[in-house]
Amino acid sequence: MNRDLSLLIGILVSLLALLLIWIFYTTLAADPGPRLAPLALEQLPNSGVSHPVTAVLLNYRAYDTLLELAVLLAAILGIWSLGPAPSGFQPAGPALTVLANWIVPLAIITGGYLLWVGGHAPGGAFQAGALLGSAGVILRLAGHERAGLPNEAAQRWLVVAGVGLFLLVGLLLAVFGAGFLTYPKASAKWLILLIETAATIAIGSTLAAAYVGGRPPLAQSTSAASKDLGA
Amino acid sequence: MISNSLVLPIALPLLGALLVVALPRKMPILGALAALATTGSGLWVTAQTWLQADLGVVLGGWGLPLGIGLAADGLSAAFLAMSSLVGLGTSIYAIGYFAGSERCNHFWPLWFLLWASLNGVFLAADLFNLYVMLELLGLSAAALGALTGSRAAVEANLRYLLVGLLGSITYLLGVALLYAGYGTLDIGLLSERIQPSPLAAGALVLMVVGLALKAALFPMHFWLPPAHANAPAPVSAVLSALVVKTAFYLILRLWLDLFPAELSNAAAAFVLGVLGAGAVLWGSWRALRAERLKLLAAYSTVAQIGYLFLFFPLIQATPAGIARDDLIAACVLMALTHGFAKAGFFLAAGLVQQKAGHDRIDALGGTAQSMPATTFSIALAGSALIGLPPSGSFIAKWVMMRGAFEAGQWWWLIIISTGTLLAAAYIFRVLSRAFGQEPTPQCFLTDARAEIPALLLAFASVALLGLAAGPVWSLLGFQGAPA
Repeated sequence: MNRDLSLLIGILVSLLALLLIWIFYTTLAADPGPRLAPLALEQLPNSGVSHPVTAVLLNYRAYDTLLELAVLLAAILGIWSLGPAPSGFQPAGPALTVLANWIVPLAIITGGYLLWVGGHAPGGAFQAGALLGSAGVILRLAGHERAGLPNEAAQRWLVVAGVGLFLLVGLLLAVFGAGFLTYPKASAKWLILLIETAATIAIGSTLAAAYVGGRPPLAQSTSAASKDLGA
Repeated sequence: MISNSLVLPIALPLLGALLVVALPRKMPILGALAALATTGSGLWVTAQTWLQADLGVVLGGWGLPLGIGLAADGLSAAFLAMSSLVGLGTSIYAIGYFAGSERCNHFWPLWFLLWASLNGVFLAADLFNLYVMLELLGLSAAALGALTGSRAAVEANLRYLLVGLLGSITYLLGVALLYAGYGTLDIGLLSERIQPSPLAAGALVLMVVGLALKAALFPMHFWLPPAHANAPAPVSAVLSALVVKTAFYLILRLWLDLFPAELSNAAAAFVLGVLGAGAVLWGSWRALRAERLKLLAAYSTVAQIGYLFLFFPLIQATPAGIARDDLIAACVLMALTHGFAKAGFFLAAGLVQQKAGHDRIDALGGTAQSMPATTFSIALAGSALIGLPPSGSFIAKWVMMRGAFEAGQWWWLIIISTGTLLAAAYIFRVLSRAFGQEPTPQCFLTDARAEIPALLLAFASVALLGLAAGPVWSLLGFQGAPA
């Protein structure tokens, strides 16, 4: 980048930082305004979960989370629209294969644990999904062309599973229940767990598919990849 | 149940997106059905707001400030109606435009996600929810813009994506300040609690600058022309007509409903007006010099966005009353007219480009003349861009000039008339190529399915919003249109 331009950007960002510090000291440091946290904790027993972050994400502001999942979907659709995936790496050597055979199942089990524990401790769908995604990354690095994911038709169902189930629950509650994404208190816990499970699968598949970096390869062919590299 | 219907204009396109991703073989049929359903729900909400009262719902049953609110008043309903009708026209056009092409598979899902976020922005009443909507909007819009796959398109839209992210983050910084200061994200609650303070002023500046970057307000417009000119025609239409408008809508919403009058003061309004004036002059000039039809349309968008910002100093200077209501309604009318006209213009330009294989204005003569309906659409849309009677923008410019007289700010008149002259020049430069070269063709329509949506959208900008501008006033809850 041009040096003058970087200097200009540096000056602008410093001015912005000074402005924010000034605002902080004149108003917020003197009088930290009201917060929503006490209210969120007060309502926690009615939310179906006992961890405040999960309550905010999946109950109080579930609509935002639904749309965040749609953002992930838009990202993977954008990646797919740019063309087919580059071919994978060569099959892993014996050490990496053994390592992957250990780590991938462990990551999947840990992901399941994080999903379950999200109800009462730090964890939840996004963390669990990230672990599933990383299992996919390891598989791809170890030579699995589709990062452990099934064929394209099935991948399409996997990446929409999270938003799909979330939206379906929301719409069914709007038609038969109290309103869009308004869980009945008795079934809130199970509805949240159901949504989180679908979201975990969708997030994990989306991250792994994003790492593959293009439309899914047609057939599972590690041998073809190694032939490319050999040629 | 009626308040739940507010969710439908967002939930239905989202559902449509999921279905077309999961069932790619049924794509055009599912796409058409979902487009019809989305338009129906959007118009239903508009009709409810118009005939009965403003709608509002807080999702999740937690009430404010814990839950997220959705709200539809006249302003949201007017923009929602625009996104519904322009969206439907574009969808019908896209069925023909992408027929038999691999890009069809990528267009529909991303377009429905974009449509959901457009409607979501117009109906949102929560500042953080708006940020999420803007993220979805920016990501799906950039991906759609790059669909042609050409190097220029990917480069322009990668820049668009990054600029959009910078704009969203700047906006989010302002939202964080407001939440830290006042402990709520709901626009209604916040407007009751907000006080003129350095914190609120900082938030105003950050949010407006972030959104102005997304609205391509001069001189932050640099990303727009290449991104809009290189996208496929239906995408260009939606980007120029609707996506840019969301950022403008939000600035107007914050200006009118959120920030106290001490902050949205004459100086702030003057800055917005000056930037708008710069956009009108620079955008029109570059449109006049453009060599390609779609680039001309993109620069024309920069200029038209400029007109919308010229309203701010006038609205600020006019005391509350009928005159101010007229200005606000004229501003909305201008935005809607541009939405319909630019969508029609881009769709028609896309047909010309498909037929001729290029869109260089100097070499378009024969092609334009062999497609009378398409050329007629360009002329109709062009007359709305210039502001000729009876188009909606004629009435809007009339009210704007009257407002400038009454506020004693005569200098805006020079900008408006110069911009109008330049617009006439660039539109007639295109139209002059369409006459006198070939024998007159036999039939008016050459490809009905693709030409009719473009024609109807252009026609709406002239006839629907011009001859029947009164409903815009009554939708916004104001008394009668100006004579």
